[in-house]
Amino acid sequence: MFHAKKPSTMNSHDRPMCVQGDSGLVLTTDPKPRLRWTVELHERFVDAVTQLGGPDKATPKTIMRVMGVKGLTLYHLKSHLQKFRLGKQPHKEFNDHSIKDSPALDLQRNAGSSSVMMSRSMNEMQMEVQRRLHEQLEVQRHLQLRIEAHGKYMQNMLEKAYQTLASENMASGSYKGIGNQGIPDMGAGMKDFGPLNFPPFQDLNIYGGDQLDLHQHNMERPSSLDGFMPNNDNICLGKKRSSPYGGSGKSPLIWPDDLRLQDLGSAPTCLGPQDDHLFKGDHHQIQIDRGTDLDSISDIYETKPPVIQGDPMCDKNAKLERPSPRRAPLPSDRMSPMMNTTGGMPQERNSPFG
Amino acid sequence: MAMAIDGAFELDFSGYSSTTTSTENDHHACNWNDWSPVVDWEALSGPHDDFQDLIESMMEDGGFNQTTCNSNSLSTDTMLVDEETSCEDFKGLKLIHLLMAAAEALTGVNKSRDLARVILVRLKELVSPNDGTNMERLAAYFTDALQGLLEGAGGGGHSKHLINNGPHHHHHRDDHHHQADVLAAFQLLQDMSPYVKFGHFTANQAILEAVTQDRRIHIVDYDIMEGIQWASLMQSLVSRKDGPPTPHLRITALSRGGNGRRSIGTVQETGRRLVAFAASIGQPFSFHQCRLDSDETFRPSSLKLVRGEALVMNCMLHLPHFSYRAPDSVASFLSGAKNLNPRLITLVEEEVGPIGDGGFVGRFMDSLHHYSAVYDSLEADFPMEGRARALVERVFLGPRIAGSLARIYRARGDEEGCCWAEWLGAEGSKAVNISFANHCQAKLLLGLFNDGYRVEELGCNRLVLGWKSRRLLSASIWTSPSECDL
Repeated sequence: MFHAKKPSTMNSHDRPMCVQGDSGLVLTTDPKPRLRWTVELHERFVDAVTQLGGPDKATPKTIMRVMGVKGLTLYHLKSHLQKFRLGKQPHKEFNDHSIKDSPALDLQRNAGSSSVMMSRSMNEMQMEVQRRLHEQLEVQRHLQLRIEAHGKYMQNMLEKAYQTLASENMASGSYKGIGNQGIPDMGAGMKDFGPLNFPPFQDLNIYGGDQLDLHQHNMERPSSLDGFMPNNDNICLGKKRSSPYGGSGKSPLIWPDDLRLQDLGSAPTCLGPQDDHLFKGDHHQIQIDRGTDLDSISDIYETKPPVIQGDPMCDKNAKLERPSPRRAPLPSDRMSPMMNTTGGMPQERNSPFG
Repeated sequence: MAMAIDGAFELDFSGYSSTTTSTENDHHACNWNDWSPVVDWEALSGPHDDFQDLIESMMEDGGFNQTTCNSNSLSTDTMLVDEETSCEDFKGLKLIHLLMAAAEALTGVNKSRDLARVILVRLKELVSPNDGTNMERLAAYFTDALQGLLEGAGGGGHSKHLINNGPHHHHHRDDHHHQADVLAAFQLLQDMSPYVKFGHFTANQAILEAVTQDRRIHIVDYDIMEGIQWASLMQSLVSRKDGPPTPHLRITALSRGGNGRRSIGTVQETGRRLVAFAASIGQPFSFHQCRLDSDETFRPSSLKLVRGEALVMNCMLHLPHFSYRAPDSVASFLSGAKNLNPRLITLVEEEVGPIGDGGFVGRFMDSLHHYSAVYDSLEADFPMEGRARALVERVFLGPRIAGSLARIYRARGDEEGCCWAEWLGAEGSKAVNISFANHCQAKLLLGLFNDGYRVEELGCNRLVLGWKSRRLLSASIWTSPSECDL
């Protein structure tokens, strides 16, 4: 299971990847290995991109050729380049800087001292986490507005349509009798429709004031449908809903109360296709349904609140940092480039993108 | 260190296997590929009189289930969770096997329409579209669709016959639905599932990112439907902070003749609604129509284009409430779109499983899998709302099942596997990366619904919405080859 390091990956004439001279790509040990973008690896990446004429000209293929690192795949490069282009990559400034003032860094590298880099990258990382956090909150705010706009449009449409239907109904008297709806049902629908008539929901006060509008909005609409349900034998949808969205325990359109900053702060991992659960604000809802996620789930439990320690440089690989879910987070240890050597090289093992 | 890692792996593994057996809704998905036909075709090719008996014997719980268990130990494991579930699952499996047998009888090597007829009669006794478990209701629609194929298969114009005629089909037809039903079902669909919003919001986010600096935006919408996609886009345009002041938005909706949901009248109504909405939030807006040719071919020359507008071609194809569009028409739009050098092409389409060489039966099973995932997802968020779900199923899903089976039947499984995203790529359109914000939005959106929904990135420009392990819907973004990198 544990793949030993493979020091021979790198060309020895190249700038060493690792302070120790030991080098190699660091991939997670889970069945879908993901790459850890170490500082060195990222630098090589930036060099390659620069050499190729900037992020917009460089393509994953050309970068792969220029970097010439064994085991690095198009998939890795594609996603890293994507983030790089968007200016989202964790240590852009750091690297711009390093290209200009490289003597100092070279010295550092040669000396094998990682402490300065470490503190710098800690800084970087904190900024990155904060930036991501901010961005996600923005996205969330936008999403909420979009859902509201969507709902407003929908409601407007329904009101108009029901009015039209009702008037057609009056006029013709024999309005398409097909289906299960008769005229009485239409009438009921009309009566039920409208904000005045939605059933009371005690649960409403559970949710914060902000959510209320959205919530009511959402709740009231289904109740308006009662009249349109086939064979409406007095089982009112609205009533059945009095434990809203029962069963799943999740309320559509209602943000989880405890959507935590920490969760959102796990941003660096959220690009990974496997990390959806980080967005489920409610921890009780997290399904441990894929084995590979087990330790990243424990990440959430263990590292909160100091998620700030999460290493954005490792891109999607927060998991790698903690091979054992039980291990307490050791920031200094985790930050050290030395850690690079602890990862194995399961090259594209079971990778869905391989 | 190594020890610790090993420990982690053990945990991983046990975590994985335990959930495989305990997530209830996943049963159908887990072992999907393990199902194999248990019908003994040799035995069934005897004289017709025996069919009924054979079917009867298959239906006897002991006999049939025994076969199932033996042929598939894996599913047995998952079935024995508790008495009740396993009962349901046995019935579910039974239905699947019967459906498969019917499909096989209809088209397979040992083609026998009589056998298919007998099996379908049996199936009809077991299912109803209005009640029962998900699998039972789903099987009802598939039974119905197969029945249509069987009836149609005799005459010449079978496909027409099956969709338009026949007593059990009239209530599936769109136009025959009470308009209020359609509206109610549409509303329910939106509240119950993220499908519609996922498609619209992902496309819109990509559009917003592509036009940040533009003062005039022109969107050509292939299938505008009720226009709801643009409400949220307008909202975002009005509230955008950076860049020039609220840009002017022009939407050209494609329409076609006739009286259907895409007729000129309906599109005009959508236009009026959009104009009113835009006015209500202060979005400068104008609306146009462009008619498709009578065969629904899109002619780029019929578009009115204005210099200096950022052109976006929007193509929503298979959201659950959308109706079928002929591949030729879609192709004419997408290839026409490419030639207009648009800033962006947004595409949302259904994900189909690998086509394989399964012919009709393979595609049939893939459809069954697809829709059972859809049914399960709807149930998961609203377990108590059987009636509401039944409405959505009757109005939207039933007709789609009938239509899609009819098409794969006609095409014998060949044609329908078309993936437009791949087609666009092959035609030379350039992929545009899905942004972090867009991915993030999709995840947040799904977070509002059941945990079973998944979003994954396929390639760099495609977001896929899935239910559990099944991919259902994908949104991809493209640009014309001549556009510079975004």
